[in-house]
Amino acid sequence: MRPILLQGHERSLTQIKYNKEGDLLFTASKDLRVNVWYSQNGERLGTYDGHNGSVWSIDVDYESRFFITGSADNTLRLWSVSTGKELFQWEFPTAVKRVAFSEDGDQIVCITEQRMGHQGAIRVFEINRSGNGTNQSKEPISMFHPIASKATVCAFGLDTSTIITGHESGKVALYDAKTGDEIKGNQRAHSDVVTDLQLSPDRSYFVTSSKDKTARLHDSRTLVVLKTYPTETPLNSAAIAPTRPFVLIGGGQEAMNVTTTSARQGKFETRFWHKIFEEELGRVKGHFGPINTLAVHPSGKSYASGGEDGFVRVHHFDESYFRAKPYGDIEPID
Amino acid sequence: EDAAEESNVSAELIAHRRRLVDEWNAWRARCREELAEERARLGKQDEEEKEEKEEVQ
Repeated sequence: MRPILLQGHERSLTQIKYNKEGDLLFTASKDLRVNVWYSQNGERLGTYDGHNGSVWSIDVDYESRFFITGSADNTLRLWSVSTGKELFQWEFPTAVKRVAFSEDGDQIVCITEQRMGHQGAIRVFEINRSGNGTNQSKEPISMFHPIASKATVCAFGLDTSTIITGHESGKVALYDAKTGDEIKGNQRAHSDVVTDLQLSPDRSYFVTSSKDKTARLHDSRTLVVLKTYPTETPLNSAAIAPTRPFVLIGGGQEAMNVTTTSARQGKFETRFWHKIFEEELGRVKGHFGPINTLAVHPSGKSYASGGEDGFVRVHHFDESYFRAKPYGDIEPID
Repeated sequence: EDAAEESNVSAELIAHRRRLVDEWNAWRARCREELAEERARLGKQDEEEKEEKEEVQ
């Protein structure tokens, strides 16, 4: 599993995403730059230039037509994937911390930060997919303010009627996308900041990572915690591998927070866990700092990690990865 | 004796894993059913709401 090293960022990575086909990999970082690469060979296809602040979050629609970015410059921007042109821009009083498309590409959800007398907010916008994409509405179709603990991550749930959120307190919640009512809340999903949230391909379950050093698998409908993956380091990202019963987990202690050389202790590794048995299967080294973001190819043939070190590493799985049956014939359906 | 004990433990572990996978598979099957039902219901609501009510009775 020889990784391809993508060198196009000068500062730490914030989020990376494959498109639906998996041929493209989008990467965002604190250096204002957003890149898109061919995932197969690591060749850079283009950039999305225009933000004046760190880009915190990105997502691409199911057609690989529209791309969205959320930034510390208080804007949410819509881009054309193929031309790299900015199509539309929404401006807010505070930074945009998280963005996500709906499965059908008709809506986007975003989190804006709580700061300077502004409440943290979740907004849903309708995306007008007709025409060239520049004709969008400034007004959200819904907006609400999660109370008590601010939301750090979000995504649409099983469909566009619900939004799943992860919070600073460790809470995971399910909101009615229209009314903003909290349908369900799990206050003790985690005991520290929820840092990532990624759904399964059919959206019926999702994985979260947390600074509490665990990653967890939850039922999208009930928020019941299905599985827990405990580690010894704060986690920044977790992803569900399709085709194999694995979850990928990454994190690591920030250099300024450690008294020992944790790099040598191997804390900056992507960990592979058995999704169902809750057993760690292996680790992949490579980064020189914490792993900030992980993404798995939609057909499971590669995965990518983005680090605090400014590098993106794309790993294509060997044939043996797909053949391996570490538990014999005990294999789940999906 | 030690070897016998070890094989007992692993038999237990295998049984445990088998149970976990069976539970997971049962849950996944339920999920898929619920999703299919929901999609069917939404589809019908769009087209023929009245007919659906009759079917329910």
